[in-house]
Amino acid sequence: MTALLDVSDLTVTFRTDRGLVRAVDSVSLSVAAGETLALVGESGSGKSVTALSILGLIAPGRIEQGRIAFAGDDLTGFDEAALRAIRGDRIAMIFQEPMSSLNPVLTIGKQVAEPIWLHRRMAWREAYAQAAELLRKVAIPDAGTRLNDYPHQFSGGMRQRVMIAMALACRPQLIIADEPTTALDVTVQAQILALLKGLTRETNAALLLITHDLGVVARYADRVAVMYGGRIVESGPAAALYRKPKHPYTEGLMHSVPRLDGLASKRLPAIPGQPPDLAKLPTGCAFAPRCPHVHDACRASVPQLRALGDLRAVACHRHG
Amino acid sequence: MAELAASKVAPELLRVEDLCVHYPVTEGVVRQREVGAVKAVDGVSFHLRRGETLGLVGESGCGKSTTALAVLRMLTPTSGRIFFDGEDITALAGEPLRRLRRRMQMIYQDPFGSLNPRMRVRDLVGEPLIVHGANRRSPGYRGRVNELLDLVGLLPDMGERYPHEFSGGQRQRIGIARALALEPELVICDEPVSALDVSIQAQVINLLMDLQQELGLTYLFIAHDLSVVRHISDRVGVMYLGRLVETAPKAALFATPRHPYTQILLGAVPVPDPAVEASREQPVILGEVPSPRNPPPGCAFHPRCPKAEDRCREQRPQAQRMDQGARVACHFAGP
Repeated sequence: MTALLDVSDLTVTFRTDRGLVRAVDSVSLSVAAGETLALVGESGSGKSVTALSILGLIAPGRIEQGRIAFAGDDLTGFDEAALRAIRGDRIAMIFQEPMSSLNPVLTIGKQVAEPIWLHRRMAWREAYAQAAELLRKVAIPDAGTRLNDYPHQFSGGMRQRVMIAMALACRPQLIIADEPTTALDVTVQAQILALLKGLTRETNAALLLITHDLGVVARYADRVAVMYGGRIVESGPAAALYRKPKHPYTEGLMHSVPRLDGLASKRLPAIPGQPPDLAKLPTGCAFAPRCPHVHDACRASVPQLRALGDLRAVACHRHG
Repeated sequence: MAELAASKVAPELLRVEDLCVHYPVTEGVVRQREVGAVKAVDGVSFHLRRGETLGLVGESGCGKSTTALAVLRMLTPTSGRIFFDGEDITALAGEPLRRLRRRMQMIYQDPFGSLNPRMRVRDLVGEPLIVHGANRRSPGYRGRVNELLDLVGLLPDMGERYPHEFSGGQRQRIGIARALALEPELVICDEPVSALDVSIQAQVINLLMDLQQELGLTYLFIAHDLSVVRHISDRVGVMYLGRLVETAPKAALFATPRHPYTQILLGAVPVPDPAVEASREQPVILGEVPSPRNPPPGCAFHPRCPKAEDRCREQRPQAQRMDQGARVACHFAGP
């Protein structure tokens, strides 16, 4: 299976008051058509920056090194005009906050029709007709009349459906969804993710799903990449990775979340300490200060991501 | 065992009877007239025993936070009664209300928005003591602040710093120390971990459970994350559109949910295990939560309920007592 998107050795830095911050450090990942890759991590782990750099949306950040190969082209070499031609057309993005991603003074119809009109160079009336079709597809009741409504007249779940409709408008090959349901209630989350998954399956699009929710990953992802301190610390097929996590951070995370089907035991095995400050990363492994298996090598050098076979990889000196 | 003991032996600390909080909906700018009401809380009854944790779950707008604010008497109920430690506090005002507030405190969701950024942590934690008459210069005051910092796992010298120097999890610890300063009996936790990173949530949940053991606290724990609620609660209440549709001991509620909404809610929560998820039937969830301004007649859940029939559309189901200590408001939940 050749990958549709192949990111290799990507490093992104930001100049801040507190010095140069390496938000993404030597990240490599790939997604094939029809596949869902979940990028998992906590705030500041670099998962959103990784996604935004694919679209060239990281200003004032800088891509220091690496390649972003998309259907054979290296996007890091693309200028703004070339990236614009791809965004919303061949690569679409769905953000966490549907309210702040929609223009409050334009009707929903105009916003959904715009990418079609722009990228497909269609007559406006035709694009508008397609917008209605798309809203029907994402199961918005009375789609035809709701085209004339404004975003504030939609509920949170309905707004996210609109975002999905916009993302699907040009039948993208790759959809990047950054915490698409974090702002939504559980039942709405289940509806939206089932819809997104069904539609990507229908069009054989690749889905890069960014989330912190291990339950969502388990239900919807084929493969998982876990990020910590700007790096991928572990990746692999979802089933295998959950069955036996190899990185101490992944393992700690899996054990520390209460689950609906688990034993409601008295104490959760929490990971001690705090997530790292990217401006003050320790030398060596970023997880070392919180790791139960830490030893000298962990403090001395950063473990590289190594393939273990069975499509799995881990960045830990224990598996060196 | 602890659960059993709490529900059999411990005396009741809080009782809420048929609580209603309706917000008027007004039209017009100069002369406002009432054109309706949002029934944020509409006929909610529950009780809470000392040392027990009641989890209150439901989706946004279901009225769980409004219920909490009414219990704290930060807003006045439209009707219904609230008893705290046997005393009717529904209409309490002035000095007696102020005295009551020492006994019930709140932990908020947002550890970034709920702490004054210009106050040192030491002063933030000590503020409730000052408000209730402590002297900042007394040796007892300083000792008590140190004790509170220690209680939530912060070092004494951290008291000299400002909130922005702390991470989300540590800020939530500061919020907890503040809430515990006056030795309250009832602590209302409103989404206390939902703004925190996953790896930090477990730390704060453990802290809350340790503090409950150590200080004999009673928790009203409001959250939308059912896994968290299942972990921390003894009993759980499920709210939908301002109504409590099901209350039951934790084990019963999660093993045999009886209200169709509870069943749907549990089915919607993904379990962090691909093997389990692959074998699980994916839920079919109909429609959306209607506006509380215009709730459906009869059972508020009927437009989304797979079982709905005529009586559900016409008649509002009353909560019925079931086995295992459950109470369910559903026409199909007959014994």
